[in-house]
Amino acid sequence: MAALRSTSSRLLATASRHAFKSTAVMSRSMASVADATVESSPNASSDSRMKSIQVYRWNPDSPTEKPRMQTYKLDLNKTGPMVLDALVRIKNEIDPTLTFRRSCREGICGSCAMNINGTNTLACLCRIPTDTSAEMKIYPLPHTYVVKDLVPDLTHFYKQYKSIKPYLQRDTPSPDGKEYRQSKADRRKLDGLYECILCACCSTSCPSYWWNSEEYLGPAILLQSYRWLADSRDEKKAQRKAALDNSMSLYRCHTILNCSRTCPKGLNPGLAIAEIKKEMSF
Amino acid sequence: MASILRSSLLRQTALATAARPAGVPTCFIRQPIQRTILRDTARVSAFHASSRKNLLPPGPQVIKGTVNDPAPVPETSPSHGSYHWTFERLIAAGLVPLTMAPFAAGSLNPVMDAILCTTMLVHSHVGFQSIVIDYVPTRNYPKLRKACTWLLNAATVLVGIGLYEYETNDVGVTETIKRVWKA
Amino acid sequence: MNAQRLGLSALRQGAKPNVFFSNNVQRLAVTLMQTRPVTTSKLSEADAQSLLAQQRRQRPVSPHLEIYDKSQTYYGASIGTRISGSIFSGGFYVFATAYLVAPLFGWHLESASLAAAVGALPIAVKGGLKFLISWPFVFHAINGIRHLVWDFARGFSKPAIMKGGYAIAGASTVGALALAFLL
Repeated sequence: MAALRSTSSRLLATASRHAFKSTAVMSRSMASVADATVESSPNASSDSRMKSIQVYRWNPDSPTEKPRMQTYKLDLNKTGPMVLDALVRIKNEIDPTLTFRRSCREGICGSCAMNINGTNTLACLCRIPTDTSAEMKIYPLPHTYVVKDLVPDLTHFYKQYKSIKPYLQRDTPSPDGKEYRQSKADRRKLDGLYECILCACCSTSCPSYWWNSEEYLGPAILLQSYRWLADSRDEKKAQRKAALDNSMSLYRCHTILNCSRTCPKGLNPGLAIAEIKKEMSF
Repeated sequence: MASILRSSLLRQTALATAARPAGVPTCFIRQPIQRTILRDTARVSAFHASSRKNLLPPGPQVIKGTVNDPAPVPETSPSHGSYHWTFERLIAAGLVPLTMAPFAAGSLNPVMDAILCTTMLVHSHVGFQSIVIDYVPTRNYPKLRKACTWLLNAATVLVGIGLYEYETNDVGVTETIKRVWKA
Repeated sequence: MNAQRLGLSALRQGAKPNVFFSNNVQRLAVTLMQTRPVTTSKLSEADAQSLLAQQRRQRPVSPHLEIYDKSQTYYGASIGTRISGSIFSGGFYVFATAYLVAPLFGWHLESASLAAAVGALPIAVKGGLKFLISWPFVFHAINGIRHLVWDFARGFSKPAIMKGGYAIAGASTVGALALAFLL
């Protein structure tokens, strides 16, 4: 019975989602699964806008098989505007084996970071290009180890994040014994830094990080590093700088600036790294 | 049994058109599945990025320590870090007026010419050095890295001597370029 | 549970015309494949880790250089600066070393013979060669200055980054033409 219930609730969900968009589909009740398959089939009605989406596939259950690109066709009239909507629809209605990470669908969790049409971005913040003649290509984050399909392994990325000690470090207690206060100007220095959600879009867009990700920290982690260097309340700046003062951790950055161009949150990791270098130079 | 029901295996079996997937009722499954798969394989293009063609092929993934251990922090060495960077920038910044000067003055006197040559040599050396560090990582190619570093050092010394010879026996680099350019 | 799913799908099949028959069966097949009989076995922590490590070693690296947007900075200005710099530095190194060993092999690399050799070339070839050399020179110089500006943490706004790339390509062409044909 549970199985029946879950299926039917999914059906209802699809039906109600479409119901918001047009009244024509309101008449459907049970048959939405069949309709959904029709939508994804090539011989749909003439006013449909079929968009081909190529997705990178690799299955760990058959590791010897090479990664491949699989094409799915969706009717844009019946799909939400964002790439994540399309992926969810593919998974729900065409191919349940398609694997990707997603959570908040509003650009705050950073789970759905992937390479869409050549640029790293969050699938939930990226509109599907409405030009139906061009195929859309979706890859996992570049130069990452693929767990499955669009899911990259970010273990080392998080380990690097941990290595920069991303927390407030100080020895002296606050003057009033209550909280560590900060002037408005000092707080303003953290704008453009604290918003980072660690989606790894910038790091995996950086050629330097591609070649040396094991030792070079990459834009995202360095931006976080600067977030603590710029914090007026932190008292371990010297140690933080010393940890970056070697040939690999920071100085593999050659100001290529793919990071600043790709950041889906509109931050500027390139600028943050330049500030660190400037602070450390003299 | 579970493995038989896995889609990938199923796909492989169907592609080979060997046997019907066991455990699944034939009447329902076999034919449509095969048809879908055939259609899918027609649409699936092999991904042309074999690891052989990759630049700097990364090895298989190895994670040291558990997920909760931080990545190791390298030793502090400002001579490879911040001092090196500042020095590199000062050299580069110094080259700006040094390369402008011959255009303004027509040519340089031997001392300035020698200074320009030395700065260019150091700038080139540092540039090559960063190429070696970027593309020949110690962790993957420790021996090749060492060889490259020493080859570069030796080349720079040789070039230094060669430039000394040229500056002392010939007309100097800026004057040569000028003469060749106007030839 | 399976029986219920079968029943439900059969109902759906019955309710729809034949065109969709195969599609429904496909969905049914997918539904069947998704239900896996639960067979779990308990693993020790060490076993789980080694299994994970083994799985990691088989993971492919996702495509990078070949799929990344070619219009981004790195494809033009960034790697261009490095390549043009390497060409000049490489030429500089080769020439100086060759000059050092020239007496051993009887080569003539003195400024006079170089100028004579270049002077013997037809004018069109000379102009082309000059442009081929001056374009990367101006390109490298402008990009170098831009990098020095970036090192003062200026010029990082996104419009500046994007427009800068095109501006530099244009400026180097103008500068290279001036160097090649006016000097």
